[in-house]
Amino acid sequence: MYPATIDQYHRPKTVDEARSAYAAAGGEAMYIAGGMSLMQAMKSRVLSCRALIDLSQVSELRGVENSAGRLRIGAMTRYRAVGEARAALGPFQALADAADRVGDRQVRNRGTVGGSLSWNFVVACTPVAALACGATVSILRVDGRRESVSIDDFLQGPMTTALGEGDLLLGIEMAVPAGPASSAYGKWGVVTDALPTIGVAVFVELASASACRNARIAVVGLPGGPARAAKAEARLKSANLDDAAAFAACAKEAAAECETAADPWVGADYKSHLIERLCLEMIGTAVRRARSQLS
Amino acid sequence: MTTVEKGWIGARYRRREDLRLLTGKGQYLADLRVVRDPLVVKFVRSSVAHAKISSIDVSAAAQLPGVVAVLTGADIRDKIRPLPTPSTVPLLPGHYPTHWPLAVDRVKFHGEPVVAVVATDKYTAEDAVELVRVEYEDLPLIMNPEKAMAPDSPLVHPDIGTNVMFNMVLTGGLTEAEQSANKARVDAIFANADVVIKDRFYGHRCGVTPMETRGAVASWDAEAGLRVWMSTQRPHIDRLVFSELFDIPQNQVQVSAPRDQGGAFGVKAPVYREPLMIVYLTKLLGRPVQWIETREEHLMAVSQERDQIHELELAADKQGQILGLRDRVIADNGDSCEGVFWGFIMPFYGAALVPNAYHIPDCDISITAVATNKSALSPARAFGSLPGRFALDRAIDMLARRIGKDAADVRRMNLITQLPCNIATGVHYDSGNFVAVWDKLVQEIDVPKFRKEQQVARAQGRYIGLGFGVAVHASGVASEALVPMEGQPGYGSATLKMDSSGTVTVFEGDAPQGQGHETTMAQIAAEILGLHPEDVTVRVGDTNNTPFASGTFGARGGSYTASAVAMAAKAIRDKIVKVVAHDNKLEADPAHFRFEAKSIWHKDRAEALTTIASICNRIIMKPLDLPPGADASLEHTAFFEAKEPMMAFSAHAAFVEADPSSGEFKILRYISSEDVGRVINPLIVEGQVRGGVVQGLSNAMFEEFIYDENGQQLTTSMENYMLASAADAPNIEILHADTPCEHTPLGTRGMGEGVPGPVPGALCNAICDALEPFGIEIRDLPVRPDRVWALLQAAKRRAAG
Amino acid sequence: MTREISVTVNGTVHRKSVPVRLLLVDFIRDVLELTGTHQACTYEGVCGACTVQLNGEAVKSCMMLAVQADGQQVTTIEGLAKDGALHPLQKAFKEHHGLQCGFCTSGMIMNAEEFLRVNPRPTEEEIRHALIGNICRCTGYQGIVAAVSAAAEEMSAAGTPARSGS
Repeated sequence: MYPATIDQYHRPKTVDEARSAYAAAGGEAMYIAGGMSLMQAMKSRVLSCRALIDLSQVSELRGVENSAGRLRIGAMTRYRAVGEARAALGPFQALADAADRVGDRQVRNRGTVGGSLSWNFVVACTPVAALACGATVSILRVDGRRESVSIDDFLQGPMTTALGEGDLLLGIEMAVPAGPASSAYGKWGVVTDALPTIGVAVFVELASASACRNARIAVVGLPGGPARAAKAEARLKSANLDDAAAFAACAKEAAAECETAADPWVGADYKSHLIERLCLEMIGTAVRRARSQLS
Repeated sequence: MTTVEKGWIGARYRRREDLRLLTGKGQYLADLRVVRDPLVVKFVRSSVAHAKISSIDVSAAAQLPGVVAVLTGADIRDKIRPLPTPSTVPLLPGHYPTHWPLAVDRVKFHGEPVVAVVATDKYTAEDAVELVRVEYEDLPLIMNPEKAMAPDSPLVHPDIGTNVMFNMVLTGGLTEAEQSANKARVDAIFANADVVIKDRFYGHRCGVTPMETRGAVASWDAEAGLRVWMSTQRPHIDRLVFSELFDIPQNQVQVSAPRDQGGAFGVKAPVYREPLMIVYLTKLLGRPVQWIETREEHLMAVSQERDQIHELELAADKQGQILGLRDRVIADNGDSCEGVFWGFIMPFYGAALVPNAYHIPDCDISITAVATNKSALSPARAFGSLPGRFALDRAIDMLARRIGKDAADVRRMNLITQLPCNIATGVHYDSGNFVAVWDKLVQEIDVPKFRKEQQVARAQGRYIGLGFGVAVHASGVASEALVPMEGQPGYGSATLKMDSSGTVTVFEGDAPQGQGHETTMAQIAAEILGLHPEDVTVRVGDTNNTPFASGTFGARGGSYTASAVAMAAKAIRDKIVKVVAHDNKLEADPAHFRFEAKSIWHKDRAEALTTIASICNRIIMKPLDLPPGADASLEHTAFFEAKEPMMAFSAHAAFVEADPSSGEFKILRYISSEDVGRVINPLIVEGQVRGGVVQGLSNAMFEEFIYDENGQQLTTSMENYMLASAADAPNIEILHADTPCEHTPLGTRGMGEGVPGPVPGALCNAICDALEPFGIEIRDLPVRPDRVWALLQAAKRRAAG
Repeated sequence: MTREISVTVNGTVHRKSVPVRLLLVDFIRDVLELTGTHQACTYEGVCGACTVQLNGEAVKSCMMLAVQADGQQVTTIEGLAKDGALHPLQKAFKEHHGLQCGFCTSGMIMNAEEFLRVNPRPTEEEIRHALIGNICRCTGYQGIVAAVSAAAEEMSAAGTPARSGS
């Protein structure tokens, strides 16, 4: 119900201040972003810390910027802001699809993209959407080095990422394809907007109205956390986009290659069915959105 | 100020409670500042399902600054009288496991209270809880009630020697000979029947968790006695129990339910471990103590109900007339340690109501409640009847399908038409018109028209369906039934006091938790006494100033409590008539007088005789020359007793569209047709129906208490025990076909309790109807797309194989 | 372990020394004794009964620490009525029977109030979606949705401008 004793609270205004506070705490310090996941862990005493460093006023970590062919989203950008920046997201609509339906609007007022990625909860929306979008993750290592890690390397397993102790996730960025491209994310849960039993994100870059130049398909709801459906991607990359049967085959492939496991509510078979269904829907939506950019 | 032309009873009068609740001025238990600096109690709860307690190390916890005391079961076993005690045990032949407020020697479910930590503040208390070390020695798990019935099963209560806590045949009579004869007769009916439907149904473990959890604040003073504030539905019963358990004279125990309570739905009716511990601690420590339950504790320890298997059979003729019913009910009773209800009262009562609104004179029904290593069943709205409703309404649809008739027609032909009657289990249905309620429903939904639409839709590859569920539900329980069952009375009671300025205070010993008694009881008193409801204040739940009352539960508010209020108001009215008549030299016939617009009128006089304020002042403050036999009192306490249980009835219809490729279903329309007797406030009745239906839907689709193979509870947060949000709930249409109840002074019935009961049946019947071409039958709750899909897959395999 | 904070609640500045780990909901209820905000779940932050506004945005106060509100503006249910005049939402909840036990009501209204500023003309579906973070057990939500809808209409008709966070 209540966190264990916390000795220090810092609310830095810059990344440098944040790092200094972390270093000064001498271990057992944690960064807090939106707190929607961290507070659950602290209140249930799964986690505790001596010093809490609140990033909510580090303005350089906030914002959605689409310029010079790159889209950058600061780690402290709230879900709500991502949703409101749909127009600026360009082809990376899946991120807004995800952000729009996380939890509830109170959660969306506080929760952040960076927080979700750092936490990498086994069933969460933002990591899988970012995985499909092929994001690059900017990390400030505890020793001060800046590093860029591909999202594929960043997400390593449930609750595990490329972040080490004291590392700070600065944001994500994606190269905006020159040609028509878009993405979509959809999920299924027991109640409306619940944590995803299954969530599927699809990103496509078109070579033409009928063919993909690139495709990424990512699935969440698997025991190992969000994962790419590589075989389905390969099918989609070589598919004739006018052929409904091709989409169906991709979706079937995604369901076949993803190993699902039952949870206390839903069986493994139905999860496979959900993968197939959501994949089909998201391919359709992503392709439709991408095609709308063709003149 | 709402003005009403006709009268206050029946008016959509906006609630008196609302202003304070809308502006943050509610006074719920956790808001009260009735004691100074209470100590806070938190419980260490068992982390395992079934084990001996090998050791408990409280030393680190006890040494934490701010911790005042840490107690274990060993510390209290010789200090607190265990349950059962006379005031906490029914008069039914069952097993009532001895238990203390803390686990003694062993734990029997994941979440059982083991240690009580008392500290100066809640954060410290939680720190201390983390420091307590309990060592357990695992015992074999008993998680399946059917397996637990086997003679060689490990036992939850070895001293009792069986896991069967309660077992009873509810039909045929009280003796074994009568029951056997009945069984034989029913067996013969089945043997000769044209059609037999036989299936096994399961209503899963879920409940109706209120938004406000439990809690208690207690203080003890040798002079003032015991003072307890608690979130409870039954303050007078609690008072009785505290007095008995702790040897404090009843007149030195005061229990107050706070003016505002955040829902209960049955959960706050039993006598539980924790409040008993709070009372003990305040006596022991000589300081006030407070316990506010967390949601996690709530989901682990209480709120778990339903959880019944029904092996149900229907015998019918070719036309669909039901000739006989067999139901072997098995309830998973959990650890069964719970004062007053012991887990099994709910399934017992639910089994007694299995025949529902259908005319089935020949039944063979038995109920077996079995102990397991789970939380004891605690009352939840529908009170044990939900799984049985589901089972029978599903079976009736199966019957209809078997004989090729519309389920609506099969239902109607089997509804009870003669009331009053006693059903096969002996439960009395006092009055009502079930067919009228049903006809109102089917008229509204036009079944033949729907069947045509359904055909057209199927041709287009769309699958829509219609399903029904019905429920006869008790509105309160009469003493005639409650005394033999529980050793407790069921009467309604209220004290009405008029003061010298003509305003009224109603005191009811019940403890509402959102039902709007401050409004409805005020409407009743106002109408009878010619006042405005704003002139009537309703005070509840304090044992010091209210008459003994059974509590607010089981829909007794509209039937029992309201009747007592009406009787008391009428008695005072008659008294006033006597004095007014005397003062004006008129005949003292109440029928000649009218109380209206805060004045008193006579049939032969154009002008009002007096105002109500004046006459009250005259009687109380100037009690001279009163009529012979009259005194200055304008206070009256009334007790309303009904000879037999009074019933309400509702019929529900659900329309769904289902997708055979995914198992997804969407509720297109949901309608309830109600007979709730004379309605005091339609707004409140509608709220009760809508809330109850959504609870039923949430129960049916989302909520599920899940224990894993190690007996660990997986649903201890609202992230896992999922409740319907606004986005999950449909709009509910309500029809009325009210018949006045002949046995209450106003013709009211209570309602609210039974509303969730028919919902799962209506929903599942609609889904099965929609997917009829695919030949699935839903037998188990919960119902979700994945489970419907699994049934569809199985049906496909059957068709292929 | 404690920290001096200055929080403006319903327009009044409160300077208090609080433990760092003190939840914002406990600061509001126990330190400031504003008990209109309720708590109904444990650590999960699902029920929404504790919803208040932080700088005009609906947040769950049980999922924040009081220290995080330092220098910020908090609005609770007690701060909604202006000079004794009920907010259209408060009036509408009463008119449309949007509450029974009332335990979820404060949080429901504080969420709905912000929602209507963001979306002054919502459809029923949008209202239902906006209220996912506030669980109610009594009403079945229908009266609540009707109340929010009615309040939206009244506020549109009155031309009520969007209020800045206060």
